[in-house]
Amino acid sequence: MENRTAIKRNSAIKTMATRTEFTLSLIIIALFLFAFFFTKAFGSPYNLTNLAKQGAIIGVLAVAQTSVIITGGIDISGGSIAGLGCMVMALLQTTTNMPFPMTVLSCLLVCVVCGVINGIIIYDLRVPPMIATLGTSTIIRGIVKLLCGGLNVTFVDERILSIGTNKLFGFLPVLTLFWIGVAVVVLLLLKYTTFGRNLFVIGSGIEVARLSGIKVRKMHYLVYAFAGLLYGIAAVMLAARVGMAQPGTGEGYDMNAIAAAVIGGASLAGGRGAVTGTILGTILMVLITNAGTAFKIDPYILDVTTGVLIVFAVAMDMLKSRKKA
Amino acid sequence: MDDVILKIDHVSKFYPGVTALNDVSMEIRKGEVRALVGENGAGKSTLIKCIMGVEKPNAGMIRMQYNGEWIVNNDALEAQSHGVFANYQNVNIAPDLSIAENYFLGRQPQNGLFVDWKKMREESQKIIDKFEMNVDPKAKIRELPLAMQAMVTISKISVNDDIRLVIFDEPTALLENEKVEILFRFIRELKERGVSIIYISHRLEEIASICDTVTVLKDGTYVTTGNVADIQKDELIHLMVGREMSDIYKIDHQKPGEEILKVEGFSDSEHFRDISFTLHRGEILGFFGLVGAGRSEMMRALNGVEKHLCGKVILKGKPVHIKNPTQALSCGIGFLTEDRRSDGCALQLPIKTNINMNSYDMISKLGWINLKQETARADKYSKSVNVKTPSLNQLVGNLSGGNQQKVVIGKLLCRQPDILIFDEPTVGVDVGAKQEIYKIMESLIAQGRGIILISSYLPEVMGLGDRLIVMSQGRITAEFDHEALQTLTEEDVLKKASFESR
Repeated sequence: MENRTAIKRNSAIKTMATRTEFTLSLIIIALFLFAFFFTKAFGSPYNLTNLAKQGAIIGVLAVAQTSVIITGGIDISGGSIAGLGCMVMALLQTTTNMPFPMTVLSCLLVCVVCGVINGIIIYDLRVPPMIATLGTSTIIRGIVKLLCGGLNVTFVDERILSIGTNKLFGFLPVLTLFWIGVAVVVLLLLKYTTFGRNLFVIGSGIEVARLSGIKVRKMHYLVYAFAGLLYGIAAVMLAARVGMAQPGTGEGYDMNAIAAAVIGGASLAGGRGAVTGTILGTILMVLITNAGTAFKIDPYILDVTTGVLIVFAVAMDMLKSRKKA
Repeated sequence: MDDVILKIDHVSKFYPGVTALNDVSMEIRKGEVRALVGENGAGKSTLIKCIMGVEKPNAGMIRMQYNGEWIVNNDALEAQSHGVFANYQNVNIAPDLSIAENYFLGRQPQNGLFVDWKKMREESQKIIDKFEMNVDPKAKIRELPLAMQAMVTISKISVNDDIRLVIFDEPTALLENEKVEILFRFIRELKERGVSIIYISHRLEEIASICDTVTVLKDGTYVTTGNVADIQKDELIHLMVGREMSDIYKIDHQKPGEEILKVEGFSDSEHFRDISFTLHRGEILGFFGLVGAGRSEMMRALNGVEKHLCGKVILKGKPVHIKNPTQALSCGIGFLTEDRRSDGCALQLPIKTNINMNSYDMISKLGWINLKQETARADKYSKSVNVKTPSLNQLVGNLSGGNQQKVVIGKLLCRQPDILIFDEPTVGVDVGAKQEIYKIMESLIAQGRGIILISSYLPEVMGLGDRLIVMSQGRITAEFDHEALQTLTEEDVLKKASFESR
C-alpha cells in the first residue's frame, strides 16, 4: 500500500512541477497569437524587437533572483546594485582615461562586492534577507546619488551604446542575447554543478545542509556575490539601453524580477525554482504590458492585472506547499 | 451509562505510509483516571491529538458529553472551552512571558480597561504555593529549568474553572520524585471533583499507584482495557509489546575489534561535563538518558555542530579537533540527528539529491557533477538500506518516517564512515521499519564499523547495545559492560538516569 500511494503521489508531483511551465507556455502563446492577429501595433517588427529588449533586463535580474530564492533568501537590492554599477562605469568613462574594458570590469567588480556584503549581513549578522537587502538597497541608492550629485551622467563611448542598438542577423537584439546567455549559464549551473545542488539543499533546510558538510557560510557569500555579478551584467545592459546613468537607474526592477521568478514556480520558502519557469514568468509579465499597450488598455489596469497575477502565483505556491505538509 | 464523558468510536487515522490509528474504540467515565500505554509509535499521541481536535480522524468519531449533550470538538480552542485540557511537553507555554502571564494567557484579570497585574500575581502566587514550586511568578519561562517549566504546564491547568477532562502526556519525564508526588496529589484532587484523567506514561509503577484503569494500544490498534488492580506488570508489558521482547532486538553481535574512538574529559559550558568513553569496531555502544541529560548536545558537539570547551577526541589513535560537521564527515563520522525533519533530510528534494548530499565532492570534478554516478550511487545506497520507493526522484517528504530515516542512513554510508552515531533512529518509525533499521545496524557492525546508539527508549538501548552508558544532568552516571547488561533491569538503569543519583 505504501508503494502504491507513493507512486500516485510521485506522478502527481511530476505533473504539478511540469504544469507550472506548461500552463505558462500556453498562456503566453495564446496571449501572443491574440495580440498578433487582433492588433496592428503588436505584430510590427519594431514592437517585437522592443518586446525582446524589454524582457532582457528584467530577465537577467529575475534569473539572479531565482538562484537567491532557491536558497530561501530574497534580494531586493538588485536594482540599486545595478544602478551603482552603471553609475561607476559612467563616471569612470567620462572623467578618467581608464580603458573601456576596465570600466566594465570595475562595474562588475563593484556589483560583486555589494553582493558579498549582502551575504555577510545576511549570514554573519543574521539579518533576515528581506530587511538586509532593503537596508543595502537604500544605502547603495544613497551612494549612487552622492556619486553623481543627483545628475544624469551620459555615456559617450560608442561601444556601450552599440550594445543597446545592435542586432544579430538584423532582428535579434544583443541585449536579448545577454539574457539568453545568462539564462543558459545559470541553467547549467543549477543542473550540473555542486554549487547549484547546494543551493537547493540550503533552501530545503539550512541545518540539513550544515550537517551534510556543506559550507553554508561560503555558499551564502557565493550566491549573493553571484547575484551581484548578474546585477553587474544588468548594469551594462541598462547603460546600453538608456545611454546614460541616472540617479534612479534600476529602480523598480526588483519587484518585477521577484514576481517573474515566483510566477515561474520558485518558492519563497526555498528549495524550489527553475530557470525555465523564471524565463516564462518574465516573458508573461512583459507580454501583458506590451500586448495591453497594443490593445490600448489603460496602463493602470495593466498594473492591476500584473498584481493579481503575482498574488495568484504565490497563493498557488502556498497551496501546493500546504498540501504537502 | 450516563457517566461516560468521552466516547471514542471506531477511530482511524492515516498518515502517508503509516496507519497511526486503526479502528480504536474506548470510553472514559466521569472521575476515572485512565492510563494509556503502548510502545513508541503505538498511536497514543495521535489519539490525544484527535481528542483535542488538533487532528481529524479519517474514520470514526470522538464525542464528549457536555451538559447532557454529545458534542464534537473541532479544534483545541473548542476543546478547552468545553473543559478538555492537555498537558504536552512544553508546547502550551509562551517562553518569553512570565509564569503569571502564562497562567492567565487570554483570560487576564481586568481592572477596567487595564490588566490587573496585582491580582494576577497574587492568584499566581497561590498556584505556585499549592504546587510547592517556590519561584517568583514574574520569572520568565525561558529562564526556568526544564523540570520547572514542566511544572508550570501542569499547574497551568488548575487555573481553569471548568475542568472536565485532563490529558497528561508523559508528565513525569522531566520531574523529580517529590514533584511527581505533587502531581499525583493534583490528579487525586481533580478526580475527587469528578474530573476524568487520561494519563500516558512509560513508567508502569506510576500507573499502578495513580490510575484506576488502563488501556493498551499496540501499533495503532486497541488491545484491551482493564482495571489496574487486576493486571500484573509483566502481563501489561506483554500486552503492549505483543511479541517476545528479545525478538525485535535480536541481532548478531560482533566481537569488538580495535578501538576507533576515544573521548576524554569532553565538556561544554552548560549541557555536559567530563564525558569519557571509547568505541570499538563492530560494537554498538548504547547511550541512555532522560530528556535534558545532555546526550544529544554532547554528540552534536562531538560532530562540530556546537562548540565544546575542553576534552580530547582520539580517532583511530590520532588526536583530532573537530570544528565543524564538514570535518567530522571527512574524519569518518556519520551523524544521524535526533530531529530527522529539521536537520536529517531535505524534505522538498528528491531521494537522489538527499543520498548524495554530503558526498557531491566525491562524484564531481571542478564542481561539475557526474550525473550518471549520482544516479548510480543513489541507486546503490538506497538499495543497501532498502528504501521502498518507486523512483529515486521521489521527494523525501512523501516517504514514511521509516523510509526517510533509511534515506538519511544511506546518505551517511555514501562517505563510508567508520563511526556511526545514531541519535534516536527509530522515533516516529513504525515497527516494521524499526526492525529493518536494526537489521541495517547489524550489517554495519558486521562490516567492522562502530555504532553509538542514543535512545530514550530503554528496551532499545538495552536490547541492542553491547555496552551501555547512562547520562544524567550532563554527566555519565553509569557504564554497564556486556555481562552486566545481561542481568540488568530497567529499574536499575532508570535509577542511574534520574535526577537524585547525581
